[in-house]
Amino acid sequence: MITEPVAIVAAGAVTPIGADLDAFWSGLVIGTDGISRIERFPVDDLRVRLGGEIKKLKRERQGDCRASQLLFAAADDLRARASLDAPPARVAVVLGTALGGVEEGEKALAHDPSARRAAAALYDGPASALARRLGARGPVMTVSTACASGATALGVAADLLRSDAADLVVTGGYDILCRFVMRGFDALRSLTRDRARPFDRRRSGLLLGEGAALVLMARDRDAGGRRLGRLLGHASASDGAHVAAPDPDGRGLERAIREALAQAEVGVADIDFVSAHGTATPLNDRVEAAVLRRVLDAHAGRIPVNAIKGALGHTMGAAATLEAVMCLLASREGVVPPTVGLEERDPECELDLVATAPRAVRPRVSLSTSLGFGGCNAALVLEGDGR
Amino acid sequence: MTGTEVAAVGVVTGWGQSVVALPSDAARAAGGRRVIAALRPSLVGERFRRATRECLLGVAAVEALLREASLGREEIRGGETALVYVTAAAYGSANHDFIVAGAADAGAVSVGAGAARTEHSVGGLRKAHAGPVASNTLHFPYTAPSAVPAEVAIEFGLTGPYVILLGGASAMIDGLWQATLLLGRGQCRRALVLAVETFAECEPLWARGRWLLRPPLVESAACALLVPGPRRATYAPASTPSPLEALVRVRAGETLACAPLIALALARASGGAGPLRLTGEWRGRRAGLVWETP
Repeated sequence: MITEPVAIVAAGAVTPIGADLDAFWSGLVIGTDGISRIERFPVDDLRVRLGGEIKKLKRERQGDCRASQLLFAAADDLRARASLDAPPARVAVVLGTALGGVEEGEKALAHDPSARRAAAALYDGPASALARRLGARGPVMTVSTACASGATALGVAADLLRSDAADLVVTGGYDILCRFVMRGFDALRSLTRDRARPFDRRRSGLLLGEGAALVLMARDRDAGGRRLGRLLGHASASDGAHVAAPDPDGRGLERAIREALAQAEVGVADIDFVSAHGTATPLNDRVEAAVLRRVLDAHAGRIPVNAIKGALGHTMGAAATLEAVMCLLASREGVVPPTVGLEERDPECELDLVATAPRAVRPRVSLSTSLGFGGCNAALVLEGDGR
Repeated sequence: MTGTEVAAVGVVTGWGQSVVALPSDAARAAGGRRVIAALRPSLVGERFRRATRECLLGVAAVEALLREASLGREEIRGGETALVYVTAAAYGSANHDFIVAGAADAGAVSVGAGAARTEHSVGGLRKAHAGPVASNTLHFPYTAPSAVPAEVAIEFGLTGPYVILLGGASAMIDGLWQATLLLGRGQCRRALVLAVETFAECEPLWARGRWLLRPPLVESAACALLVPGPRRATYAPASTPSPLEALVRVRAGETLACAPLIALALARASGGAGPLRLTGEWRGRRAGLVWETP
């Protein structure tokens, strides 16, 4: 293997369909719809007023920004499943985000002159807050490859372990629903007034969501028996084509997938499952399906593919980590969750899509794909620990 | 893993082009000014009409690098070039404009599309540069930190591996380390490591966080070209600032993620041989990278 595999020891999450990992998983499998009218900030002037909003957090702390609160909730869930048993200086934090603390920036610019608010407006603030809360004193990094951030973060975390710059890494992604991002996507007409329907013939856009997903990673040889799965390979590639839209030929995504598979020394025939980015925009899904058909080639018709953004909304920086965790849970539980919102298959997106009902398969090797603003593409190759 | 070396560094700052323009004492040269702004580069082309100043500074830094290395654009084009981008603050100006435009839409301030920017906007923020207020639709993608490397990738045809890190000087040390890994694993044949920092649009906001950002805040864009070479890079925490870190602080002022790249440029300008020790600090964490020949 070109790069040493890294163990994903445990995971924690907070999402619109469940306040912890177990609730997230069961929500995915039964096809829970996490989309609702947004209540936390004004949306009356927007075309679209729906999103995957987390209505209540288990513990809300005054003074912490919402992004930090989501991270703390996911971290509490993670720590309930695994301990950070390494010296603090050897524990690193690597988080992916598209928006960081932008809501704090809005408040700072609009009405709150406090210095605390100004510092929190910087996008890397929540990662530092999480590191302080965890007592982690190793490297603290914030990755921002837009909506691919949650995948890139796992790759950077793996690099820290392979380079012996840390013994444990708490990594993942997060983003919040806030007026800033709703207004932006609303103005771009990227949001649908229908529901998000990945790979559906009638798909008309995405819906945004919020969430945080964290995993604890360790060198595979150090993980002992505790393991949810392994990260075998990761890669990124730039489109170099457009600031806001994917390359219509998907060349960057294809390069990222092929490089990740090469790193993992995994052939296409070894892939058991694909977690697609599947935003439900007309262009993304068409491009992504075409790339997957090219890469999977003769195997495209037999490899199950799903997309979970119909259930959660597009959780931006959290999305790729949630999808990676979903791949590992699918392996553990022997079932692939359905693609909520997919009812009428698009002939242009011909893949073996897991549509309205979960499918009983136990994928060992999964491929997870991500795309983001700025032509950011990322791919992860994961191995589940299912027997 | 193969070794690496720094083939060239391009620097543009509020003080001027290249490290030759840096004063001997930035604080004294600032004369009490909190922000030393960099001019909007005058790049030609319809594509740049809507691009933000920070995007243009990123392009200008790569062009400065190509000039220094006497390289043509075709020599970095394609999938063999990785792009690693780091910033702590450059997305702030686009966010500011988007928020101000939204407030204007809501009637909080009078800012019309296509009008000159107001001198004072929400939160008492002062606009540093006259120009049209970007419309919401077209401007929103530029609020993403990924906009700057996207514009650079489009302009120079870069389609290789891609990493974007957020933070100050320590994040740039992380970025340089990432570049050495990409080269060492053979995932690219060269790596551009780019940083852009702008402050002017959000000057009052940054003034509130002065324990993080010590004036003078000097707008900067810098880019290093890393290629396979004889030196081994060692990445580790650092407890004290390297002499180069201290030198950049004195000569350039606060340049956040650009600081380690300016340090590289200063080291190259001095022609120093032997191990190259870079450090960078941000939010209380100091990272270090040492390049040495085994």
